[in-house]
Amino acid sequence: MKPILLQGHERSITQIKYNREGDLLFSVAKDTVANAWYSVNGERLGTYNGHTGAVWCVDCDWDTKNVLTGSADNSCRLWDCETGKQLALLQTSSAVRTCGFDFSGNIIMFSTDKQMGYQCYLNFFDLRDPQQIEDNQPYLSVPCSESKITSAVWGPLGEFVIAGHENGEINQFSAKSGEILKKAKEHTKQINDMQSSVDLTMVISASKDNTAKLFDSTSLEHIKTFKTERPVNSAAISPIMDHVVMGGGQEAMEVTTTSTRIGKFEARFFHAAYEEEFGRVKGHFGPINCVAFHPDGKSYSSGGEDGYVRIHYFDPQYFDFELEA
Amino acid sequence: MPSNEYDDSKPSWADQVEEEGDEGTLPSPKETIKGNIKTVTEYKIDEDGKKFKIVRTFKIETRKASKAVARRKNWKKFGNSEYDAPGPNVATTTVSDDVFMTFISSKEDLNAQDQDEDPMNKLKGQKIVSCRICKGDHWTTRCPYKDTLGPMQKELAEQLGLSTGDKEKPAGSAEPEPAQPAQNKTGKYVPPSLRDGGTRRGESMQPNRRADDNATIRVTNLSEDTRETDLQELFRPFGSISRIYLAKDKNTGQSKGFAFISFHRREDAARAIAGVSGFGYDHLILNVEWAKPSNN
Repeated sequence: MKPILLQGHERSITQIKYNREGDLLFSVAKDTVANAWYSVNGERLGTYNGHTGAVWCVDCDWDTKNVLTGSADNSCRLWDCETGKQLALLQTSSAVRTCGFDFSGNIIMFSTDKQMGYQCYLNFFDLRDPQQIEDNQPYLSVPCSESKITSAVWGPLGEFVIAGHENGEINQFSAKSGEILKKAKEHTKQINDMQSSVDLTMVISASKDNTAKLFDSTSLEHIKTFKTERPVNSAAISPIMDHVVMGGGQEAMEVTTTSTRIGKFEARFFHAAYEEEFGRVKGHFGPINCVAFHPDGKSYSSGGEDGYVRIHYFDPQYFDFELEA
Repeated sequence: MPSNEYDDSKPSWADQVEEEGDEGTLPSPKETIKGNIKTVTEYKIDEDGKKFKIVRTFKIETRKASKAVARRKNWKKFGNSEYDAPGPNVATTTVSDDVFMTFISSKEDLNAQDQDEDPMNKLKGQKIVSCRICKGDHWTTRCPYKDTLGPMQKELAEQLGLSTGDKEKPAGSAEPEPAQPAQNKTGKYVPPSLRDGGTRRGESMQPNRRADDNATIRVTNLSEDTRETDLQELFRPFGSISRIYLAKDKNTGQSKGFAFISFHRREDAARAIAGVSGFGYDHLILNVEWAKPSNN
């Protein structure tokens, strides 16, 4: 396969995300712009300009109308997807680490970092109520005093948010009351990324403890574990195959002291049921910070510490391949 | 934008510079569409002033998509891409080199691959260090069995040394024993002078050197004309001689006036001392005495 290389960022990629149909790919990095790309040919649709700090997270709503970004400039911004205009600016007291639209696209959540004496908060806004945005007053704000949230996704039906914490815990926060519905402590180190399956029944968590784990979204029951020998920065579930792709590598600060050959900068494919690795794809010059499957399952993208996003369309061999059990 | 008007008329150098900046002298880019192949031909001048022709071919694909996707495909570009032409901009989008997914069919393959990739793993297989106590892959001082196995082994070695040492000694005196085994026994570095053969160095070259020392006499006050044959004649009557050494000047070959005579038997040497000491030989009075054992 010939990957399409997207060079829209000057610094390391922090998150990439497809929209629902997968025709658009959004990428954010530690520079200040968010990019929107056509996934089919890698053409850049545009950039969302306005942030003044590293952008940590991006999300797009169900009908690709709005885009949400959270940044270290202590703001979360809502954009019009088509024109790139800023629709809303939500100021916070510390960096925004994760953000997401719920299934309806009406409610947004974002979490802020424990930073500069401020606590970690999980905030919920209802976009249908302009007053909330005007006053910058979330309808629900949940403090997380124990350990800050490092990654979060919406659960099914928009009832709760599944959040991964710095100490490895995974919690379900109710979007209505803010209370913790379920807890799981399977990881021993920080959760770097959480992604849900296409039908939202499962979530996969990527952790610094060198594993990625599959959980049931509702019960938070631990299903599978995928082990590697390096910290896992991101993991995604294939929408059509029983596959999981994981991206990682050693810590960014150790990259310059390790050769590419032994750096383990490949994207690694695991069989979801057997928990066994069956394939690898090389390409990045640094650790992979984020991976995402196209919603049709025929391609996947990865964003790396090297600042590039690579869109890979799978060869036929990938679909023919069967793991010897 | 480049135009043909400028091609022939260049009124002043200032315009010319401007034109070059605008790439005005270059043919305008062409775009041809043949079937589903689009060919774009562009001309460029690089920093060295060389002209480049860039030909890019595109495959035009028609894909069926949902209405929403089709609508999005026609969206206007915005932000930093606002002025980009339709189609991917080479500044931001490139096609990378071919990469292949490497399939791993079994766990062994995976491990083999791992080892290939990590040069350190190759070394791990080999023993760089070997523990003297347990033959493990670590330094002796870090051996986990140092306290238990170590003293046991020493005792064992001592016992073995007593039993094998006796056997070894006569064999050793017959032929010089190589220093290697001695070194292996203790493992420590032993300087050559302290090794087993060290004390009788050069034995094979000079058999019974020690015996010689006992039956060697020193003769001094010899005349310069003395030859080894003269000494042989002089001392043969006392007994069989094993060696005669006459000190000679390197350059002239003349005697330095002293010599060592080694007899096979000490009694012969004693008689020679008694007989020759004070003997007038070639107008000089010889002085004969026991040779002092050499320091080395």
